[in-house]
Amino acid sequence: MASKRSPLSRLSQAQSAALLLLPFLATYALFLVYPFFRGVWISLHDWNLLEVAFNPDAKEFVGARNYVRVMWGRGIEWSAWARPGLQLFALAGLVLAAILHATRRIGRGPAIGLAAAALLLFVVAGIHAGEEGRWYDRRFWPTVGNTILFVALTVPGVTISALVLAAAMNRETRAMSVLRTLFFLSQVLSVTVVTLIWQIMFSPRQGLVANITELTGGSPVNWLTDERFAMAAIVIPTIWWSLGIAMILFLAGLQDISRDLYEAGALDHATGAKAFWYITLPNLKRTITVVIVLQIILHFQVFGQSHLMTQGGPNDETQVLVRYIYQTAFRDSELGRASAMAVFLFLIIGAFSVVQFLVGREKD
Amino acid sequence: MSRVTLADTIKKYGATQVIHGIDLEIEDGEFVVFVGPSGCGKSTLLRMIAGLEETSDGRISIGGREVTRLDPADRGVAMVFQTYALYPHMTVRENMGFGLKMTGHRKQEIDAKVSEAARILKLEPLLDRKPKALSGGQRQRVAIGRAIVRGPEVFLFDEPLSNLDAELRVDMRVEIARLHKEIGATMIYVTHDQVEAMTLADKIVVLRDGRIEQVGAPMDLYRDPDNRFVAGFIGSPAMNFFKAHVAGDMVDIEAFGRKVRQPVRQLPDRGPVVVGIRPEHLRVDPEGDTHQIDLVESLGGVSYLYLVSKSGERTIVEDRGDHHRRADDRVGLAFDPEAAFVFDAETGQRLR
Repeated sequence: MASKRSPLSRLSQAQSAALLLLPFLATYALFLVYPFFRGVWISLHDWNLLEVAFNPDAKEFVGARNYVRVMWGRGIEWSAWARPGLQLFALAGLVLAAILHATRRIGRGPAIGLAAAALLLFVVAGIHAGEEGRWYDRRFWPTVGNTILFVALTVPGVTISALVLAAAMNRETRAMSVLRTLFFLSQVLSVTVVTLIWQIMFSPRQGLVANITELTGGSPVNWLTDERFAMAAIVIPTIWWSLGIAMILFLAGLQDISRDLYEAGALDHATGAKAFWYITLPNLKRTITVVIVLQIILHFQVFGQSHLMTQGGPNDETQVLVRYIYQTAFRDSELGRASAMAVFLFLIIGAFSVVQFLVGREKD
Repeated sequence: MSRVTLADTIKKYGATQVIHGIDLEIEDGEFVVFVGPSGCGKSTLLRMIAGLEETSDGRISIGGREVTRLDPADRGVAMVFQTYALYPHMTVRENMGFGLKMTGHRKQEIDAKVSEAARILKLEPLLDRKPKALSGGQRQRVAIGRAIVRGPEVFLFDEPLSNLDAELRVDMRVEIARLHKEIGATMIYVTHDQVEAMTLADKIVVLRDGRIEQVGAPMDLYRDPDNRFVAGFIGSPAMNFFKAHVAGDMVDIEAFGRKVRQPVRQLPDRGPVVVGIRPEHLRVDPEGDTHQIDLVESLGGVSYLYLVSKSGERTIVEDRGDHHRRADDRVGLAFDPEAAFVFDAETGQRLR
């Protein structure tokens, strides 16, 4: 099939590949790479959004001062018992990594990863403001903590419920394909619609949740303004919202598992829950890891749920990093400081992207 | 002890019936091969015995115990799959011991049984590898090992050699035969390859369209087929069939251009029949000119001649010795009437 007149055929394969990639690379460079470096550059300046907009010279190079102002304080100390709970947990993680590796339950790479994460937690949790000291920005680390808590609740929630749904719906019947579509449907809604639906759901007067609470004899709570429930009130809609993609990935993973394995399992007394534990889960390990890492990356960027449902409240309980960046930049006009926070967020997400890349490359 | 009995076994998928009332007795320790063309229901029948397919009607019993409605794991069978179906995330050792682990056996006991099976199959050096790191033949040996470890009453093999290359297939065939001799358990083996059937079986069950065509020892099926289908299926190259007419006590075979004294006692008085003659029972008659040699396949000690008659019928002749036949030569055919089979032209039933 010699397409003599096609202009593409006169180019070498590498040239035509470059040509086809060009539009993407140009867009990527213009809208992602350049803004990123611009952001890093801004983060090194004292940069007031409004002033610089009117007078480009109204910025001042300050080096790392924005980072210090955001992340550090006066009289910051470190001790091994600043937060005993967290730090003991971290030490337990360190021991667990050693045990798992010694008993050959996990390989060297995951063991090192787990140990490094545990060590990092141990060190970071030990940092605190001393007697006379104080943080320059009291809200930053609590906001980071809230974001991590949000991710820590959402990601297992999404992963486990998507996995259970996928396993239940992994059948070629009409009813199941209808259900699959229904469960995926929430994914296509925008965050505004999702939060609106759930604001109504959580409404203490007419909401479904309040009605159920009353039916079971409890007194309805105002989820969105109650300190104990506000985080749950943004986690639950998020799980409902982002279930679809994870479920589709799991369904694809499940369909990759040969039916023969379940038949062999049936002859080996492994059916039902045992089959799920001994055959399904091990064969889904990679899909599960990919889903978890993708969800972590996605949910660290949470903004809409917090902004629209709880406005970060009550008492900053649901204030999350992106919302804080947004407020610092566009409400307080502190573009430099906001950029420093954005770079911090980038590093977290970048770290998980590296994990995802490594997992994707890993054989077996 | 581990007899397998099928009584009027039926399988339906909705309105479509694929197994039509099979009755079969398999003796303790027997090696039985289900053979037939694809779609004949041989795998379905095996999977019904395993419990992987539900039995729509009829009864299946193993070792005198009715198992028709039992779970696969409770039937006392182990199965070797065509695709091996090894658990990819487990080592060879774990794969082989998995069934026992699921039934709560102690670790030492599992280890002992796995080591014993590994010894029989010479798998010891591979025990700590994962299936991915094994060759096709090794994987199939592990699959067989997994079956041995379970210590079943009946071994089921579902086309276990079809995914292997030709050379390996021969090796594994020998190994399976040796295994049967060593363990002595009842084995049921499904294949579409009649060579495997002939070489392995104590008893062959020829299936077509969900019905048994004939059951018997390999050489009995070869020497005394009940019908044209079995005659054509067993033996390689396949039997030649000729259109013929009965006239008195003579059979007139068109392709031969002459009448032959009929070799069977109960011929219909007259009318069309089919005469079947195996390639090894045909001889080339250099004097004749009824056939033209289309192709010569020389395998060394033996050559296969592909002949075409004047009316276009194709015939294969086995030619032993050094005859230097060449393509396009014209020859005649001769045969020993005693070695010919006569079948009803319509039903294909053997006339004897």
